[in-house]
Amino acid sequence: MATTSLSKAEKSYIQAGLLATPPQRIDGRDLFDFRTVALETGVAPLSNGSARLNIGKDPQDGGGGTGVIAATKLEVENVEEDGTDGGRLVCSVTCSPAAYPHLSPGALDDLQQDMTTILHQTLSHPSLHPANLGILPRKKAWLLNLDVVVLSDAGNVYDALFMAARAALYDTKVPRTRLVEMHSTKIAQKSWNTTDGMDVDQSAPSGLDTRQAPPAQDFDLVDYWDEGEELDGRTRWPVSITLNIVSSSYFLDGNLQEEAAVPLRILLVFSFLDVNAPTVQATRMLGSGEIQLDQIKSLLSDGQKYAWEIFSSLTAKLKDEDVRRTLKDRERFVTRQ
Amino acid sequence: MTDDIFIQKRSRTEAVVTQRKFFKKTARGKVIKVLRERYLRDDVGCGIENCSSCRDSSEGSLPYPGALNHPTYPNGHFLLPDTNVFLNQMDLFEHDKFNPPIILLQTVLEEVRHRSLPLHNRLKALTNADGKHVWIFYNEFQSETAIVREEGETPNDRNDRGIRRATQWYNSHISVARPPIRGRPTPILPTVVLLTQDVANRQKAEEAGLICASVRQYVKDMKEAGILLDVLAADGSGQIEPTRAVAGRQARYPEYLPTSALQAGIKASQLYQGYFNASAYNYLEGNVSVSAFTRPILLVGRENMNRAVQGDFVVIEIFDESEWKAPTDEVVDQDATLKNDDAEDSENEEDDEVHTKETKVVLSEKRTAEKQPTGRVVGVIKRNWRAYVCHIDSTSLTSSNTSSLSQQTVFATPVSRLLPRIRLRTRQAPSLVGQKILVTIDRWETTSRYPEGHFVRALGKAESKEAEQESLLLEFEVPYRPFGKAILDCLPKEGDKWVVPPKSDTSPEWRDRQDLRELLICSIDPPNCQDIDDALHARTLPNGNIEAGVHIADVSHFVLPDNPMDSEAASRGTTVYLVDRRIDMLPSLLGTNLCSLRPHVERLAFSAIWELTKDADIINVRFTKSVIASKAAFTYEEAQLRKDDPSMQDDLTKSIRLLNHLAQKLKAQRMAAGALNLASPEVKIHLDSSESPDPIDVEQKELRETNSLVEEFMLLANISVAKKIQETFPQTAVLRRHMPPPPTNFDKLKDLLKKKGGFNLDVSSSKALAESLDLCVRPNEPSFNTLVRIMATRCMLSAEYFCSGSVGRDTFGHYGLASPIYTHFTSPIRRYADVLVHRQLSAAIGYTPLHPSLHAKSFVERILEGVNRRHRLAQNAGRASVEFYVGLALRARREKDPKNKIIEAGYVLRVFRNGLSVFVSKLGIEGLIMFKKPIQFDAENHMITIPVPGSGQKDVSISVFDHVEVLIDVEKDKNTQRGKVKMTLTRPIDSTGL
Repeated sequence: MATTSLSKAEKSYIQAGLLATPPQRIDGRDLFDFRTVALETGVAPLSNGSARLNIGKDPQDGGGGTGVIAATKLEVENVEEDGTDGGRLVCSVTCSPAAYPHLSPGALDDLQQDMTTILHQTLSHPSLHPANLGILPRKKAWLLNLDVVVLSDAGNVYDALFMAARAALYDTKVPRTRLVEMHSTKIAQKSWNTTDGMDVDQSAPSGLDTRQAPPAQDFDLVDYWDEGEELDGRTRWPVSITLNIVSSSYFLDGNLQEEAAVPLRILLVFSFLDVNAPTVQATRMLGSGEIQLDQIKSLLSDGQKYAWEIFSSLTAKLKDEDVRRTLKDRERFVTRQ
Repeated sequence: MTDDIFIQKRSRTEAVVTQRKFFKKTARGKVIKVLRERYLRDDVGCGIENCSSCRDSSEGSLPYPGALNHPTYPNGHFLLPDTNVFLNQMDLFEHDKFNPPIILLQTVLEEVRHRSLPLHNRLKALTNADGKHVWIFYNEFQSETAIVREEGETPNDRNDRGIRRATQWYNSHISVARPPIRGRPTPILPTVVLLTQDVANRQKAEEAGLICASVRQYVKDMKEAGILLDVLAADGSGQIEPTRAVAGRQARYPEYLPTSALQAGIKASQLYQGYFNASAYNYLEGNVSVSAFTRPILLVGRENMNRAVQGDFVVIEIFDESEWKAPTDEVVDQDATLKNDDAEDSENEEDDEVHTKETKVVLSEKRTAEKQPTGRVVGVIKRNWRAYVCHIDSTSLTSSNTSSLSQQTVFATPVSRLLPRIRLRTRQAPSLVGQKILVTIDRWETTSRYPEGHFVRALGKAESKEAEQESLLLEFEVPYRPFGKAILDCLPKEGDKWVVPPKSDTSPEWRDRQDLRELLICSIDPPNCQDIDDALHARTLPNGNIEAGVHIADVSHFVLPDNPMDSEAASRGTTVYLVDRRIDMLPSLLGTNLCSLRPHVERLAFSAIWELTKDADIINVRFTKSVIASKAAFTYEEAQLRKDDPSMQDDLTKSIRLLNHLAQKLKAQRMAAGALNLASPEVKIHLDSSESPDPIDVEQKELRETNSLVEEFMLLANISVAKKIQETFPQTAVLRRHMPPPPTNFDKLKDLLKKKGGFNLDVSSSKALAESLDLCVRPNEPSFNTLVRIMATRCMLSAEYFCSGSVGRDTFGHYGLASPIYTHFTSPIRRYADVLVHRQLSAAIGYTPLHPSLHAKSFVERILEGVNRRHRLAQNAGRASVEFYVGLALRARREKDPKNKIIEAGYVLRVFRNGLSVFVSKLGIEGLIMFKKPIQFDAENHMITIPVPGSGQKDVSISVFDHVEVLIDVEKDKNTQRGKVKMTLTRPIDSTGL
């Protein structure tokens, strides 16, 4: 993961600082401190859900930090052609060349491919599949496209990706649809006719016979003005926590130089029903370093603790964003002038 | 005025509420999110003249004091109607007696547009109409009246709230703009009246302190209430209508399926769509042609026709084959069956007499013909409702108040037999009896046997010529208004002084035009023809070949694409010829003067010139714009006499003979190729002198050799032009085709001819048909062959214009003419398709570039669809006009000499279970003879047997094609005021009393 090249001297300087007692990081943070996380939802009005997230923005000039935009877009798919019954989720990550100026286009492609794979594999797992992506059984379903763009990378891009993805999915509204059913007098008639069993001519399969197909043929939007209902299971979407391992110790939310200096990072992705019911959705080891199995166990339980912190504060922020964008804005409109 | 325009940009935080987001489902089933920005302004004017608080009050169109003539609102008022009011009561707003100042909200305007585009256009026209005071208030852009949809609010509720908000704003705006000034009387504040039909909305408005009214309430108190109340659409305003019947009403018709279900069904091929055609013989039957079936789908009975009206675009479901039926052989007349139905309470009784009667008719197993796919209407995609010409059914008037002016419910019987009776409420019923009136259908509830409508206007006394004339034009949707100023402005400035300028190189008229003024050109037309659009010439060339030319008026020189005159011509589509009137497609200055190829004047023309051998084989053809000077205008008769008179040896006569010679050869060639010689009953009405426009006699059109001369050359020109434009513009050429009829169309006729004459009709190709038709002759009955041809013609499809790129190359053919390609080029004065063809040909010879619209397939298709429709309607109008005059002529003849009965020979065209239809070729009319007494019906042999009353005489059998004699009389139908031709058999049996 050499997104930044670092000299040996620099590397050893950073590592020495991290292993010192008390540990020292270049920006003065504690090992388990996160930089400021800024989040805003509903940034792309034409999408079905969107969020902008920044980790470590400079409070003075508002610049810097890891910036990510995530947006979802729903598309109607024909199940017979290329869709999946019950809908599907497709994630893709794009890295802006400005975020990685020193990478060649090929390397950039590789990088975003890596990120896409992790995100897609984790989020499209059946255990997280939202129930309301189906429209018409065996005919039509929603394709939920989740696109994440990395605008700038100042370290810890994976945590940022998952947080932004969670925020955008949380924000996603699925347009309400209604099945349009054909009245079934004919179907009733048909089956009545065939139970009769006497008429041999009728046993030939008829083109009009629709008993096997579901009665609904098409769908319609319930309300054209309504954004729709929330995506099912929106609180389940996981967050990731990246543990940067330096020999026996580890730290969180590394910046670019720190990430370049550590030989191994472990990515843990958790989803929570509540604080006591975590699910590990994915783990990844990044980097060339090695680690003992017994160490992983303790890392996992530590990671769970930090992930819950992120998860619960993110949920609180998302709820707050919801209120801001509906009630408060509406009030401001009514009381304008 | 270059007043500064400024837009207030919203602050970013407002975005979430000022952006309007909505979803759209596309035709392909995708869902798209659409985003609209809204910028709110403070300077949206209220539209009241001289309003002191609006920025620019001078352009307001609403009078300052409001309307002062409504007794309920003595302080003056403005009317603010909601959407439903416009959707249901547009006729009221268009009425010239109804003109209070109206505030039209943007919300309402937009909602109307979403619901109905035609109504939206009428509403837009209303805002600019003279004598109306309408101000469009952009309430959604006014910062104080703009609203945002609440959580969980339906779009309807939101709009209603917006309308109420705007009403409130207007009221406060008026009071702010007219502050009380000390020392002066307190200003009178006009009120803004919210006009709405929605009770819930009215309640909410009243809670908010707004003044509101229902339309009926409002109109009832007006001075002109008597007239205006009739214009109101029948609308279930529960307040005024007594509720007595509502509870007991039972649905007579099944509900329609929701639109989305219809679409889904059509997609899944479980439902089919098509235009509904009512049967002219049986009002309880109709059919729908559907592409998936070769035969039209039969609909039997009221429930299955399910409120479809002639011309509606409906969705049908097809029953299982076991339930398929055959059309009845019985004539079921609406007037007779429903005679006793009471307009007021026909809804009360469930098992009333009518219902039983109808059920009997529908269920009767008197159906012997072959079964047809049968189905029922499950939905209507597009209604074809318009204003219909009707009569008030005088028997439906409540007898006690024939002279009172109280409101009553009556039946209006449309002139067209294809339409159901319409129920309407009117105060003027007694005065409308015996008049032709215009009635619109408003709605047709499931609980109501008849559609409900309202009275639009009276046309005049039935059978008066003016009323009948206008009703004819209305009934066939012929646009007959005089040409407007914008259209007349497109004519040459010189008016009738316009002449072809002297020949010079600089004059635009002469550019690339050939000078054919010296040629011996003449025109041959029917007598009194004013719009001469074709002229001919022929001469022998030095090499022995013959040069023949067809010269067509150069209409496209005057009618330029895409100007008002062009669009008017396109919408009129064709000139309509009625017996005593012609409704022009183009202003008469062009049609009868500048474009008309009159003799002895120079005219611009578009010429097609052939070099032909003596045997009329084409050696080459060229097309050119030209200047001609016709040497003579002959009638068919004059030309014929000239040709036949051996003493005439001048060049003009010789050229007519030359033309005739070629025409005969051409005709022979055409016949050899299998062209059909079809016939339709054509009669000619002799109009008396100008003093009395009454027709004096009817006679059949005579066909002379010269008719066929002109016809052959026109066909030749059309075919040559069609080839040329199809080559040049393969995608958008305007062509005309006549599809071969499906062989099943001929089944009945074939069977008839086989059984009744032993003739074999071969319908495998047009040539075979032409030959077998020639063989259908009865030696001593010359008109028999004509009759067979008429019946064969009825089995065919009608010819149509089409765009060459829209259909397969193999379907270009013209069946009747047996030509692989055909178009209309020769009558641009009276047919719009010809104008398009002229433009394309002119571009094809490089004279002018082609207007871009004629490169667009969709444009050409749309125009031609309109022209086809107009063409069909014009033909029907012409036919109906002839029919009307035949009736008048017959009556005149009867009145002149009451003792002398009119007895004519006729043929039996069709037999029914209870009657027969007879065609009288001499008068070109077809009439029904019905028998009240039971008769025997033999469908197999197309025969009926009538028992002769009294002493055991032998029964009389009559079958199709039998020669009969009928007594013809004109009878005024008591209920409908319709002049009906009544026929009674006199030979072989007198049917009076049967």
